Amino acid sequence: MNKIPVVINDTKLEVDPHKTILEVCREHDIEILTMCHLKGIIDIGACRLCLVEVEGVHKLMSACTTKVAPNMVVKTSTERIRRYQLITTELFFAERNHVCAVCVSNGKCELQQLGYKVGLDSIRYPFLYPQCDVDTSHAWYVMDHNRCIMCTRCVRVCNEVEGAHNWDVMNRGHQVRIISDFNTPWGESISCTSCGKCLHACPTGAIWPKAIVQGQLQKNPAMITELIARRKMKL
Amino acid sequence: MVVSFKESAKTDPRIKLIAARMKKEGFKPDSLIEILHTAQGAYGYLPKDILLYIAQSLRLPLSRVFSTVTFYHFFSLKSKGEHTCIVCTGTACYVKGAQALLNKLESSFGLKPGQVTADNKLGVQVARCIGACGLAPAAVIDNEVAGKVDAEELIQTINMKTGIV
Repeated sequence: MNKIPVVINDTKLEVDPHKTILEVCREHDIEILTMCHLKGIIDIGACRLCLVEVEGVHKLMSACTTKVAPNMVVKTSTERIRRYQLITTELFFAERNHVCAVCVSNGKCELQQLGYKVGLDSIRYPFLYPQCDVDTSHAWYVMDHNRCIMCTRCVRVCNEVEGAHNWDVMNRGHQVRIISDFNTPWGESISCTSCGKCLHACPTGAIWPKAIVQGQLQKNPAMITELIARRKMKL
Repeated sequence: MVVSFKESAKTDPRIKLIAARMKKEGFKPDSLIEILHTAQGAYGYLPKDILLYIAQSLRLPLSRVFSTVTFYHFFSLKSKGEHTCIVCTGTACYVKGAQALLNKLESSFGLKPGQVTADNKLGVQVARCIGACGLAPAAVIDNEVAGKVDAEELIQTINMKTGIV
């Protein structure tokens, strides 16, 4: 396959076409923040953290869903991008009830790490404090909607990797919630295979196994990427 | 788990209708929205057991069906009432007094937008714009568009249709 020239952050690179800007940047150790991206599953550009500037395009483009093109000039770290990343992170925290101190994911949470990375020290937006359920009906796992950021990684993993499609998203706007089946309690779901992949895909402490105390949760999203790669090999 | 609709389909014409529509669409999963339209047309809303029947017939995940139903405002999981009155609250109708119509409906039947009477006879809804701005203020009573609506006339028309006095 012929390689195409692109310029990322003033560096000339020869890259494979059909790859996304995010894939190219990850290959060349150029940092791009992501939340809804999980290598192996389909990207949807939902979190808006991977926004990059593309020369000749007025709006910011999401790196995970934009393919590289010949002679594309991309900037991944400008003042404008950093400003948007901070806003996005603040909105994540303001939208639901995130309390790190009492969270199972404390210290290992991707959202928490993102906050550190963008230098989040205060939130300029009013907190919404929505009423969110905590679904403890499953025998092994808990779904805490307070900590969910609607990245839909669990939805996509359940559909694409496990093939069960237990999860989906209901409603729209601020009322969106992750649901199992007909918004039935997780424990009563007829689709769930209890495989636990959604738990490992979840970047926050929204899905976690029972019998885990505060700060003790160990997630392994790389396992899912590995699983997808191995399944492709068999085919 | 598998709901036996075969027996009830013989007696319930609404299920027959949905089954016929699914067959016509070749049980394609991407014909979900068309079939939901048919089901909502038959029942006036989408009962859970019917959603289960559709999901299983089209081999769609239950959560995907529920997601579609809750995303579109057109679909409803609750009964909208045997008779419906939709008041347009688009810009033109709003200026021409849509709020007065809603106030009159509330004082006459005790219904706010989205509510249904206890006996399920009448439901009141609002629409953003029904595309009849020249007829402002407009209302839709049982799928019939009424233009330049007067509050008193509206109540009379509804009383006639529903038999509520």
